[in-house]
Amino acid sequence: MNKIKEQSLSWQSGMAKNITFIVTKDCQLACKYCYLVGKNEKERMSWEVAKQAVDYILDNEYDENFNYESVVWDFIGGEPFLEIELIDKICDYIKTEMFHRNHHWFDSYRFSFSTNGINYDSEKVQNFIKKNHSHLSIGITIDGTQKKHDMNRIWKSEGSEEKGSYVDVVRNIPLWLEQFPNAGTKVTISSADIPYIKESVLHLYSLGIHEVNINVVFEDVWNEGDDVLFENQLIQLADSIIENEYYKDFACSFFTENMGKPMDCVLENQNWCGAGKMLSIDAAGNFYPCTRFAQYSLRDKKAWIIGNVRYGIDKNKLRPFLTLDRCTQSTQECIDCEVAGGCAWCQGENYDVADTPTIYQRSTAICKMHKARVRANNYYWNKLYRKLELESHD
Amino acid sequence: MIKYLVILLDDTSVSYCHYENNKAERKLISLEDLNEGIFYAMKENLSIQFVYPDYELPAEYKDAINTVDHSCVKPYAKGVKADVLVINDIDKLGNVDWQQDTAYVLRVDKSKLFAFYQNIISVLPKVMRLNVVLTDVETFTECDFDAYRKLLTELADVVKTEYVRGRIVQFNLLSDRIMLDAMNNCNAGVENITLATDGRFYICPGFYFAEDDADFGLGKAKFSVGDLKNGLDIKNSQLYRMTHAPICRKCDAYQCKRCVWLNRKTTYEVNTPSHEQCVVAHLERNVSRELLKGIREYGEFMPEKEIKEIDYIDPFNIVKD
Amino acid sequence: MRKVVGSVTVEEKNEIQALFERRNGLNELAKILTVENTELYEKLVKDMGETGTKFQNWWNRMSSKYQWESIEGGNWEIDFETCEIYLIKP
Repeated sequence: MNKIKEQSLSWQSGMAKNITFIVTKDCQLACKYCYLVGKNEKERMSWEVAKQAVDYILDNEYDENFNYESVVWDFIGGEPFLEIELIDKICDYIKTEMFHRNHHWFDSYRFSFSTNGINYDSEKVQNFIKKNHSHLSIGITIDGTQKKHDMNRIWKSEGSEEKGSYVDVVRNIPLWLEQFPNAGTKVTISSADIPYIKESVLHLYSLGIHEVNINVVFEDVWNEGDDVLFENQLIQLADSIIENEYYKDFACSFFTENMGKPMDCVLENQNWCGAGKMLSIDAAGNFYPCTRFAQYSLRDKKAWIIGNVRYGIDKNKLRPFLTLDRCTQSTQECIDCEVAGGCAWCQGENYDVADTPTIYQRSTAICKMHKARVRANNYYWNKLYRKLELESHD
Repeated sequence: MIKYLVILLDDTSVSYCHYENNKAERKLISLEDLNEGIFYAMKENLSIQFVYPDYELPAEYKDAINTVDHSCVKPYAKGVKADVLVINDIDKLGNVDWQQDTAYVLRVDKSKLFAFYQNIISVLPKVMRLNVVLTDVETFTECDFDAYRKLLTELADVVKTEYVRGRIVQFNLLSDRIMLDAMNNCNAGVENITLATDGRFYICPGFYFAEDDADFGLGKAKFSVGDLKNGLDIKNSQLYRMTHAPICRKCDAYQCKRCVWLNRKTTYEVNTPSHEQCVVAHLERNVSRELLKGIREYGEFMPEKEIKEIDYIDPFNIVKD
Repeated sequence: MRKVVGSVTVEEKNEIQALFERRNGLNELAKILTVENTELYEKLVKDMGETGTKFQNWWNRMSSKYQWESIEGGNWEIDFETCEIYLIKP
């Protein structure tokens, strides 16, 4: 029987509360496409703030904001592992408190990390991994080939010379995959990266990474003709995946079955992302509907603060997020779009570029890129199914 | 479509709604802007509502105002005539010289309303219309909701008695919902727009009277939506319409003001009401429903009207699910 | 060697998955709790015992209900995604 590797759903998808600690706004790297415009070395979370946040969250076990079956305690930066000692202390406290309070999340939790992978092999990080292995989800970001990776993911430096971080990350990939064989990586595509998409995805497969979650940036960075280049790259990638039968064991999120269909404003009206259902906490103890609404993520708008660790969540500030639907925020062109299915948006980016301070104005910066992706995606599935059909007759 | 233009004649023009006007310094709109505003309204076919301060206007302003058909909102004072008179003292209603052909706005905060609501009882038979506007609806707590429901129920008895006597009482909190078949909100930004003393347009006076540096969380609140020279330019104008208000479009508390200014202050979004605004409106709706039932016990009354029984007090709960 | 020898219902899978999660949680908590924290330590030890018993009871109950193939020295595993039971032969 022919098999096609499916993309994994996130753990307890739809049933888990996602709580993000922005433990630091510092990072060793200065990636060119990074949406975090306000990174700095000063805003590091203190233990007191972290503890207050955990206490507030666990105190409100049955509040509608926290009444989820499961929880993902997410740690983000900057680079979260720069604060491994604090993270270790927070995780110990969370585990102990959940058990002590007989909190239902003790039976269903994960600690999640998105890291640049640079200090993955450090003793402190490794000790932390050993201590919490069965509850960890760790993603290392590697962007593809060294050329593609080093174009964007460069070391932070004072001087003018750019230094890529590929070699500092790739050395940790075998250890990571040994510890988390099913882990996937996140790849970000900006305008200059388009020519390297095919070789980058195949390179990641060759490193043993079976899931490549790849997306184009939501910012308006696209140039005339980028959509054509993008489509060509994806078609070449599709050919390679099919010819080499990588589809059996590897997944690439660019190719998603059933995307690119028209959508119904009644039956398919849900918002794309979980902003508002998630909770982020920064070093100052402020709460946000998602990290993308913290000031360090915003270029032109003010942070969207929904509360803090001392006074809790102002539920009125969450109402727009929890009642936001697809069609109300979309232009008529998006509503009528024949290939709307799978067209993503980032609520924070929408807010940042909106004409007024609102989350109800959907950015359409990726429109052409989405349409190009749909064409390549259609090609991929048509070609793949024809191949499988022919093989089934053999 | 915009149908009404509210013109604030002075920075101390009386507030007739939820917003506060804390400006103490008199500053008249320039005569040029006043004339331009009137001219604009005539060209755009807008009905004008002038909002007055508590002092006598210069003669040339009166002349300008009289060049156009209009309505006027004024602060109450003995002998003052207006289409709408605004009263801020619920504890001094006994001193008011009520006029049958005038609509009254009573602005009151919750503590004074809870303490003096019985003063309203004697007013209802005397006026054509009374609008009670809560000035601190965003601060209501569960206890306040209880107190509000109780006082509405008491006031409903008075309204019922008047109806049974054959006299139509117009009392926004209780009779409006009975009469309505669809939303009838403030509609700022959709049907009406405000011209302030700086010659700029605002969605409503609340947006103009915000302190200069007030941001209510997401940046400057005091933003204009155009001026007399360049005309109206309401960005994201769809967000003021019912079609783009996920909670309100599912709601049948038709009498609710659906105050976009309060929305902006409390939830950051002009299309999203706060929990407090929704619950207060639903308490009014539900007591109106009981009132309708009560009146019908005395005979047939508006048989085509129906207010359904519902199992929620905040429509947010049915929308988010 | 690893082969499918049967399956359980989703409800049955959920039951063992919850116990599996709890057991993992207790094991990792055991790495950081010390005897000095008497109250919590005793609670942990008691819970580990109870959870272990429930865990074994589930396998006893299910193997008896479904009569899965077994082998000397082998053990069963469950795939939480498919609800399938695997026999693992050493």
